[in-house]
Amino acid sequence: MAAMVQRLRGSVLTSPTSSAVNLVGLLVVAIAVVAALQRIYQSGPTYFFQTLGFGMAQGAIFALVALGYTMVYGIIELINFAHGDVFTLGAFFSLAVMPLFGLTAGKAPSTALILPLIGLFVVTMLFCALVNVAIERVAYRPLRHAPRLAPLITAIGMSAFLEGVMFIWRGPYNLAYPDFLPEQQISLGGGVTIAAKAVMVIVIAIVLMIGLTLFVGRSKLGKAMRATAQDRDAAQLMGIDINRTISATFFIGAALAGAGGIIYGLYYNSVAAFDGFQYGLIAFTAAVFGGIGNIPGAALGGFAIGIIAAISDGYFSVSWTQIMIFGILIFVLVFRPTGLLGMRVPEK
Amino acid sequence: MVRARGLGVLIVATLFAFACGSSGGGGSTSKGEIDIASDLPTSGADASSGLPTQYGAQFAVTQKGTVDGFTLKFVPFDDSVNGVHNPTKGAQNVQQMISNTKILGMVGPFNSGVAAAEIPVANQAPLAMISPSNTNECLTLVFPYCQSYAGYTAAALRPTGKNNYFRIAANDTHQGPAMADFAYDTLGVKVIAVWDDQEPFGLGVANNFATEFQKKGGTVVARQGFDTSSKPDFHSWLNRAKAAGATAIYAGATSATYGCIPRAESQGIFDPSTYYLGPDGIGDAQCISDAGATMGNDHMYASQGVADANSNPSAASTIAAYKAAHPNPSDTAAYTYAAYDCAAILIDSIDRAIKANNGNMPTRQAVIDQIAQTNNFPGLTGTYTLNSTGDPTTPALQIQQYKSGAWTTIKNLSVTS
Repeated sequence: MAAMVQRLRGSVLTSPTSSAVNLVGLLVVAIAVVAALQRIYQSGPTYFFQTLGFGMAQGAIFALVALGYTMVYGIIELINFAHGDVFTLGAFFSLAVMPLFGLTAGKAPSTALILPLIGLFVVTMLFCALVNVAIERVAYRPLRHAPRLAPLITAIGMSAFLEGVMFIWRGPYNLAYPDFLPEQQISLGGGVTIAAKAVMVIVIAIVLMIGLTLFVGRSKLGKAMRATAQDRDAAQLMGIDINRTISATFFIGAALAGAGGIIYGLYYNSVAAFDGFQYGLIAFTAAVFGGIGNIPGAALGGFAIGIIAAISDGYFSVSWTQIMIFGILIFVLVFRPTGLLGMRVPEK
Repeated sequence: MVRARGLGVLIVATLFAFACGSSGGGGSTSKGEIDIASDLPTSGADASSGLPTQYGAQFAVTQKGTVDGFTLKFVPFDDSVNGVHNPTKGAQNVQQMISNTKILGMVGPFNSGVAAAEIPVANQAPLAMISPSNTNECLTLVFPYCQSYAGYTAAALRPTGKNNYFRIAANDTHQGPAMADFAYDTLGVKVIAVWDDQEPFGLGVANNFATEFQKKGGTVVARQGFDTSSKPDFHSWLNRAKAAGATAIYAGATSATYGCIPRAESQGIFDPSTYYLGPDGIGDAQCISDAGATMGNDHMYASQGVADANSNPSAASTIAAYKAAHPNPSDTAAYTYAAYDCAAILIDSIDRAIKANNGNMPTRQAVIDQIAQTNNFPGLTGTYTLNSTGDPTTPALQIQQYKSGAWTTIKNLSVTS
């Protein structure tokens, strides 16, 4: 541990004054960690696993949204601000088409709901994916060779546009989202329980993320995406259709955001037009935390922020949560400016 | 200061010219128009409580029609921005009211935070304000904690040093403790978790609830403020509250600050029979929708800062007339009849001010002076005597329970101080 700290410090520190400052920083973090561990120990394992479950459920949704940010940034170095709103659109759209699948409020959770829910996921993911591809075609592709700030502003514009559309469509109210997930606690043995709802959210998210990782790692299109991310011109020279590849990236990212929107609705049972903006910001933070452009990094970053938030909420005070998340973020980025798992962006 | 006086002279001059002009027109025709404004959040998330309140005030104005030969007109303003009440918008609305010399007073605002922004603006005109629902105690009373937690003092809100603001709702020194007494004595709750939305109203009512609950001998656990500028995740906190032994939850919040979202999220953590309590801000339809199908049940209670008009026999005919004009059940909410009373008190005061001014259009200051003289005014929600700081001398409250689809009054309380 000491050797590692020494090595980490050696890599960033040069002057003795900043060395002292960093030592103080390390000390503060060490005290916080000890305090957290002590509280966790005192409250027992059941409470810990419940808190962890809530954190992972929230983190899973962050992660699904973060993946879309990180994929788009990885391939065209654009922060797609509209992504958080595509996520909300997923929740809104699924709420509207739900009755077509026989999913109406008040239906008790049962295995008979699994198939309609899968159908709902597929249709919503497809819808969000097409919307995002359209956004790319209209607002980003014409600006691909424009100064970097131009697509950033069109992205903010698209975000405002989507929020406005949802606002006009359903108003600013919190919309009730029906509850189709079971409420039971699952026993993990030894009196330790975790909410079934949280477990389901986490499992759905992880399955989607594994699917994405396999797709990008194994499929031909995935390979094209990675090649485009590495060097767009070289990829084009190798015969890769850049436009199609970038569209595919937006398609997949938004499909995950759409799924995230449904999970958000099912888990929190309410959604409002402006919810996605804050979620987008946190998810973007998660993507930077894990290493922008890095798919496993975004997932890790999302879960990490969710868990830090839950531990802070559950063991300390909600007032400390933002401070803890961003304190840890600053700490990680100071030592690893490329994020937890390293950056993967086009090489210039 | 100089500018304010200049404006005052201008207003008086305009009114004088107006009054002279119209009095020459003959005896039986209207002497002119007097406007009653309202400022309430009537669009978006707050509309479920704001609109029924506006309808109440409007009904009183149209029912009265004229006062001493002047035609009454109702001028509603909306202080919502993007669907949520907004103090800056409220202050702008008051500026607009001041520039309309026919407006002699306003009913509203709905939210204490909006009132804090509006009172200083209206105070310099001066324009009479009378609110059916503002409950923050620091708007009218002096407490050592006002500056630090509400961010203002009653004196700082009144730059001219004279009062122009009145209300008929019981302030939070009553509403929080009333629910604390009810929870401890009637519901038998001994350990409760309390959260607030970090707004002047929510924080104030939660603090007053907690203080009284502890004074009774109860225990407050997991006392927590949430940043409600975006929707928080309440799960971990609810679990902490449960682990700390809470058997009920008090929300110092409104439906616009996610007051009943924790109720939905507590599903699976707390039993559906756990009590969920809150102030008037959660006693609306949005709260029930947010609480969800399972948790939005009859174990939810809200206090209201006015008494129930339905228990007043002499209010029955007016209530029936209102319901005939507004048959939709969602057009009637907790403060509908309180807003009616506010408008009625305002019109009654204008009437006295006109009579004191020999039948001519009174000044705005004269109207304010007459409101402060309000003595045993028979309203729908109670009999009101207003004191010089703007509060009712014997405020009344009610506790409502969510029962079979509606918030139902289960207890009326009157406060004698």
